[in-house]
Amino acid sequence: MLDVAKMAVEAATAAGADLADARAGTDETESLTVRNQEMAGIDRSISTGVGIRVLVGGRWGFASTSRLEAEEITRTAVLAVEIAKAAQRLPGEPVTLSPVEPAVASWQGPMQEDPFTVPLEEKVALLMEATRRMQSVEGLTFAEAGLDFFRRSTWFASSDGAAIEQVVLHSGGGTEAIAVGDGDMQRRSYPNSFRGHIKAAGYEHIRTLGLIEEAERIGQEAVDLLNAPECPSEVTTLVLDSGQMELQIHESIGHPIELDRVLGMEEAYAGGSWLTPGDRGKVRYASDLVSITADATLAGGLGTFGFDDEGVPAQSTPIIVDGVFENFLTSRETAPVVGQTSNATSRADGWSHLPLIRMTNISIEPREGTLAEIIGDTDDGIFMSTNTSWSIDDKRINFQFGCEMAWRIEHGKLTTLYKNPNYTGLAPEFWGSCDAVGGREDWVVWGTPNCGKGQPGQVGRVGHGASPARFRNVQVGVR
Amino acid sequence: MPELLGADGFAPVADAALELSGVDGVEVLFLHEWGGLTRFAKSEIHQSTNREDTGLRVRVVSKGRVGVAATNECTPEGARKAAQSAKEMAEIVGPDPLWPGLGPVAPTPQVDRFFEGTANASPEMRAEAVADLIGTCAPGFTAAGAYETMAMEVGLANTEGQRCWAPSTQASVTTVMSGSEGGSGFAETFSGSVETIDAGVIGRRANDKALGSRSPKALDAGVYPVVLEPAAVATLIGFLAWVGFGGKGYLEDRSCFSGKKDQQVAAPTVSIWDDGADPRTLGAPFDFEGVPKRRVDLIRDGVFLDAVYDLRTGKEAGVPSTGHGLPSPNPEGPFPLNLFMDTGDATVEDMVKGTERGVLVTRFHYANIVNPIESSITGMTRDGTFLIERGEVVGPVRNFRFTQSILGALSTTSMVGRQAELASEFFFSASRVPALKVEEFNFSGVSDH
Repeated sequence: MLDVAKMAVEAATAAGADLADARAGTDETESLTVRNQEMAGIDRSISTGVGIRVLVGGRWGFASTSRLEAEEITRTAVLAVEIAKAAQRLPGEPVTLSPVEPAVASWQGPMQEDPFTVPLEEKVALLMEATRRMQSVEGLTFAEAGLDFFRRSTWFASSDGAAIEQVVLHSGGGTEAIAVGDGDMQRRSYPNSFRGHIKAAGYEHIRTLGLIEEAERIGQEAVDLLNAPECPSEVTTLVLDSGQMELQIHESIGHPIELDRVLGMEEAYAGGSWLTPGDRGKVRYASDLVSITADATLAGGLGTFGFDDEGVPAQSTPIIVDGVFENFLTSRETAPVVGQTSNATSRADGWSHLPLIRMTNISIEPREGTLAEIIGDTDDGIFMSTNTSWSIDDKRINFQFGCEMAWRIEHGKLTTLYKNPNYTGLAPEFWGSCDAVGGREDWVVWGTPNCGKGQPGQVGRVGHGASPARFRNVQVGVR
Repeated sequence: MPELLGADGFAPVADAALELSGVDGVEVLFLHEWGGLTRFAKSEIHQSTNREDTGLRVRVVSKGRVGVAATNECTPEGARKAAQSAKEMAEIVGPDPLWPGLGPVAPTPQVDRFFEGTANASPEMRAEAVADLIGTCAPGFTAAGAYETMAMEVGLANTEGQRCWAPSTQASVTTVMSGSEGGSGFAETFSGSVETIDAGVIGRRANDKALGSRSPKALDAGVYPVVLEPAAVATLIGFLAWVGFGGKGYLEDRSCFSGKKDQQVAAPTVSIWDDGADPRTLGAPFDFEGVPKRRVDLIRDGVFLDAVYDLRTGKEAGVPSTGHGLPSPNPEGPFPLNLFMDTGDATVEDMVKGTERGVLVTRFHYANIVNPIESSITGMTRDGTFLIERGEVVGPVRNFRFTQSILGALSTTSMVGRQAELASEFFFSASRVPALKVEEFNFSGVSDH
């Protein structure tokens, strides 16, 4: 397939591209879902093709095709050049790229057990038993369990001479217990919501999840929630578990720091950012306790790779240091705007899409203490666990999140269970109120495999290392 | 430009899978799509793309056991390999006790939704239209957005003998104009044909909104009467479909309509239906199980009538499929992709005139579900939010966060617009909805811009 990518680059150059790169790729998936000990879905997919990106007269063009015959690749390359030329219809500054050393390399993420070779019978048996255990809880309506596996193989070539082969592999699994009654529905998920815990790993990750061991607890919690009171509406101290912190980081830090968003390139879709290009080193984003790192070399992260889709080697970049904003996520096109070179965050949703700035693994640096210790140190407040819902405005500043369950914290102990909890805030105020960040013991690398961005819409697979944390004066129970 | 494979071209590919031996049934779903998108920001074209892809999704049934495999190798050999892979999966899993069988032979509605001009739209044509749109920008403002043209063909064949195929096209222009003093305006249009799209008109609408929304004032959160333009209404109706109209959630008491059949759930001014055969909507006239799409009246005069069904949920409910199946496997169940909301006799101007103090909303942004049973969602206003006082739009206000039950809003709907517009909240779906006047709408917070 590297030959396909090289052929595409040659065709694009022959058609008039000043610069060209191509990604030939294959995406493979396998997904299993069991509901109440019945198979709700089992499927595999495979998708192969090539995407060709060109720069002509300082303007981008991109075209992709699933057909890999030489004639079709040439047609697609010529089309990419025509698209770039058409973009010259309007005036504008020509694209200039930060330099990158053309790499000739091969990279594959660590993996012990290929999930695609694990017998289907074993996977089905795991999910059946997990749902059986959940169903043993009286009052539970639906017990669901699922596994998802994803492998992306990419062959990248550029007119600068890069030639990179790369394979990423992701494995995930989770359970979901749903209790329905009296016009209400409550849900508990394990280890996290939206298909569980997905990591850059092989099937060995699935074996560590404890889907069967935790099944009854999750089922019981869903049933208990049906009889719980609504989360009260008040301004209070809020403690979030690691799983909810994942999405809090994703939406209110990960997206605002994308430099293409800051520069207005996403304005018409999900919007811009409250940050400006001159904010590096000047804006206090959070309290002193909050340090955020973008690390594409993090073990287990969905944003871990050897090279991004522009051929830039994976890096670790400090984003927020002791509360002060320091760096954006950048691409070769955007980095020169802030006087830098790319920090390797340009990735595409497979061969058929143009690379965009995407989060890698955007993680909060662990500090001290366990979740239990943070709760024990809290006199009065609310503890929320596991995301159900998220919404953020077009500057990525006003957010509202919903969680599966919450408890009142009184004198360091969890007391009343609440259902339907949610909270809202403005990003810099909220992060500025953070006065506790948990330590390494409860720091988990979570996967977000469904991050939407771009037009046409692309789905990004990104990671977040997250500890539990505490925030003061937060509005909870929004109605 | 790519060409349609056509029903005749699809047939030999499908037959290669349908010949699979040792199973009870095989279904082949074929998708072929291509198109281009010219994306612009800061009044420059910055990301222009074109893509073509095919897909085969093969569902194999053996003794009620079902496996599915997908590939984009659209050849007889690719179809055979996918069928074999699906068979391997079907042999391992347990039987589905509610397996309804594959879609029976049935004629599908004939609709003409394929326009050559859209299928063959060139990057030059889109760039020219984008230039027209950007030319409407007032000084100090820039435009961002996208002009997309897509063509697709969908085919389905199964061992029951059902064979159907339909091509279609769609085109859309979306823009946000923003600039000095915080002004921001939005406009969009969807159509099957590029011939009916005038990008300059879209630009002028967005520009007017942007100019009018400069220097927004902060307004307290609270419950207000609102005038919702069609793009905002499309968000409400799209999410109502998600939390309510699917037969699976309805049957499982997880829908906001569960237990409410024949009950008043909205104001008598509200009627909503789904009709994939209506010429005014987009997509194929049959679903992804090969079942003809039927008109389903969901809410009539404010009364909930029924949900939509696929083959499996239809069997569970004891009714035929309404033609709302999604590609298999589909644990979420059926979904309405072609929604319509009945029009009334008011204009947006009438609604404003009838408002003592309220808010005019151009669109919502980034909505998500808060409580599905209560049809409660949250989200933001964006790109044109205005204060109405004494029957006039008096000025822009900062964006609100809303937390609101959709059925609650529809229950206080007092006026319905006389014109409906095609809009899209979710990929692959379209809804044709009018503007609404809602008497009680809960803005739960205010943003900083």
